[in-house]
Amino acid sequence: MTASTTTTRPKRPRRKKATHTHETLIIGAGFTGLGTAIKLREAGVEDVVILERADRVGGTWRDNTYPGAACDIPSLLYSFSFAKNPGWSRTYSPSDEICAHIEELTDRFDLRSLIRFGTEVTALDFDRHEGTWTAKTAAGQDYAARTVVLASGPLSNASLPQIKGIDSFEGRKILSAHWDHDYDLTGKDVAVIGTGASAIQIVPEIVKTARSVKVFQRTPGWVMPRLDVATPRVAEAVFTKAPVVQQAARTALYLSHEVAATGLVWDTPVTSLIQRIGKAHLRLTVKDPWLRRQLTPEFRAGCKRMLMSSDWYPALQRDNCKLITWPITTIVPQGLRTADAIEHHVDAIVFATGYDVQLGGPPYPITGAHGRVLQEEWAGRAQAYKSASTHGYPNLFFTAGPNSGPGHNSLLVYVQGQIQYAVAGIRTILERDLVSLDVRPDVQASYNETMQKRLRRTTWMSGCTSWYLTEDGFNGAMYPGFATQYLRQMKNFRAEDYDMVARGARALWNSPAAQAV
Amino acid sequence: MTTTTSSSMDMELMLQKIKDHQWALADIDWDAPGVELIPDELRPKLKAFMADLCWIENVGARGFAAMAKKAPNDTIAEIYRYFHAEEQRHANAELALLKRWGMIEGDELPEPNINIRLAIEWLDKYGDDMSLSVLGTVIPMLEVALDGALLKFLLDEVKDPVCHQVFEKINNDESRHIAVDFAVLDMLGHASARKLAIEFVSSVASPGLIIGSLMYIPLLNRVRNELVDMGFQPERLYTAMTRFRKLGDRGEKTQRVPLYHVLKWHSDMVIQPQHPYHLLADSMVALSDRYPKFLLKPIPTWFKELTYEPVSSTVDKSGTAA
Repeated sequence: MTASTTTTRPKRPRRKKATHTHETLIIGAGFTGLGTAIKLREAGVEDVVILERADRVGGTWRDNTYPGAACDIPSLLYSFSFAKNPGWSRTYSPSDEICAHIEELTDRFDLRSLIRFGTEVTALDFDRHEGTWTAKTAAGQDYAARTVVLASGPLSNASLPQIKGIDSFEGRKILSAHWDHDYDLTGKDVAVIGTGASAIQIVPEIVKTARSVKVFQRTPGWVMPRLDVATPRVAEAVFTKAPVVQQAARTALYLSHEVAATGLVWDTPVTSLIQRIGKAHLRLTVKDPWLRRQLTPEFRAGCKRMLMSSDWYPALQRDNCKLITWPITTIVPQGLRTADAIEHHVDAIVFATGYDVQLGGPPYPITGAHGRVLQEEWAGRAQAYKSASTHGYPNLFFTAGPNSGPGHNSLLVYVQGQIQYAVAGIRTILERDLVSLDVRPDVQASYNETMQKRLRRTTWMSGCTSWYLTEDGFNGAMYPGFATQYLRQMKNFRAEDYDMVARGARALWNSPAAQAV
Repeated sequence: MTTTTSSSMDMELMLQKIKDHQWALADIDWDAPGVELIPDELRPKLKAFMADLCWIENVGARGFAAMAKKAPNDTIAEIYRYFHAEEQRHANAELALLKRWGMIEGDELPEPNINIRLAIEWLDKYGDDMSLSVLGTVIPMLEVALDGALLKFLLDEVKDPVCHQVFEKINNDESRHIAVDFAVLDMLGHASARKLAIEFVSSVASPGLIIGSLMYIPLLNRVRNELVDMGFQPERLYTAMTRFRKLGDRGEKTQRVPLYHVLKWHSDMVIQPQHPYHLLADSMVALSDRYPKFLLKPIPTWFKELTYEPVSSTVDKSGTAA
């Protein structure tokens, strides 16, 4: 391990410069950031700091507390294989239980001391002479580190949609990603805008107490039944005593999800089979043919995010709930108007309208080796090598980076691969005492060419518009393959794919271009 | 992702225009004076006609819903989704006029006549399976007839200023519908002759379209007869049909759509009161009155979505006005 050095950057007014250069700086204390810290420590990297903008760990599971919030991948698989939880109460755990698990992980692996809470990163700059990254924060304190892992998540920000008249609404506006728990929906007339992954969890909960719930839908999605049952006591006991059994159950779940890729990732006859299951689900649970028509998707299954729920369709058919498919024309002080000329008066509007998806990089500017700004380079065309490194931004590792999204399997399985890759990269930098480990541009270009070629036959490119795609239809979000393929590539950190510059001797491994440093 | 359109109309711009021109029942003062301007002798006939009219709008709405699924690109699909809602809006507004004129008792909506019931059954069963070239030809014809003849006639007969205010809004919407209808019809004409011929032959031979015409012919004549009863001169229909022809012929490629010619030929017959066609059509009207009621399927739920209430404040699935 290399000893830490102090940065020599000039002090800026009103900023408190970093007094210490950490080995690794992690942005975000959600599943990914904490998992990275666990694995780094295991690899002997002890000098780690985690910057977290909130005052608690948990990331998306801390923020998304709307009624009914739960994972839509079985918990056994929606967890790290190296930090299992034998005590999941249900097949699909609710958000507070996931959050408690993340808190428990933090304590189990003694990570709390690494985390700087209330620290929001506002910019990230690389000093190519020193080989250090400096994170500027909203509070003014700078943090410096030789390596950085971005674990701030692609769906960490959400805002109200731009609907005409939205500011005029006099009732309560509730954003699904920042649920307003001070407001009780009991006995209220509520409008829910959106029918995506959040709405299908919210509506079945709020119909239980609200006087009326009107659900405004633009595009129906494919909904698969979700068998959510309480974990039998005996299973819990066995998982606790024999973790190998839990691992076996996890592997079985993993493989069954892998099989689904043949229909959800690629547009194949299996996709049609999945659609049949979706339609059968609809036919069995919705009596009225017109409502069925309104709920029948018009795109290939998998093209947009699959929805998992067994209580969405029944909820819509409750006496106090109504699906409205007329376009919303404007929001008015007392509610909203639809194009069929009707004004709907409501006490509250729930906006389950999604996230400010960060396809073009995190919301804070990242300035790389030659003054290049990541967000400018990625505008409309985000690309990286193996989703983890981007040329011009040395010693920086992405998680949930470009083309890393799964359409059929647990995100955490993918994240585990990303952590493994970042740890291998960080060890290389520290062990070889590198100033810079920068992916070669030719390697990155050829990787992305392959990605885009492989994407062509996927369901995501089958003609729908989704948040996976940029406005002009470029897919820089999803990984076109099995999780197994992805994990294999992430396991294999190839130093020869990178230009490396060593500290003392400024020795050069791979590239003559790096001599300029 | 989307098929490029060869239409000269900028559909994006049209969609924006549509979004900018939305209106609601709440924009209209339904209690304003003017009800007294409706002569008593007109009332029963007006009631029957308006009831049919609002159901026909609702049927047209269902037609646009079918078209939205067939649209050649996302923008046109979105336009059709709006048109679907706008036809519903017209029906709602017409219902609100009926309510204003005291022609609706309590919460009870006017009963659709047998021809409308049959048309609904047809649309529900076959509408979604019809090709865009069939729907895209029939709908402009219906809209021109509706907009150009029926509504204009209504405004001549009914002096109520609220009615005029409502129909001015409806007409503005309809003029956008007609512009898009004909632009799409022209776009359809750009398809290869082979594709057009195959689509035409297969659709004409399809039971769906044959049954459809059996529904459509008496429906049209029933409404025409109702109008004539109210003093409507069939020449107005003639003018409207000429407009259908004029707008269609103006399109560069519309003439290549075979069904367009069938409809032109059909409309030529409809507008001649002495044409033997009416013997057939009127006997179909009479026959349909004898259509056994037990054969009718339950009215689809979309048909019960109509409401004259400008404001909906809760969900009430028992009634019609939610």
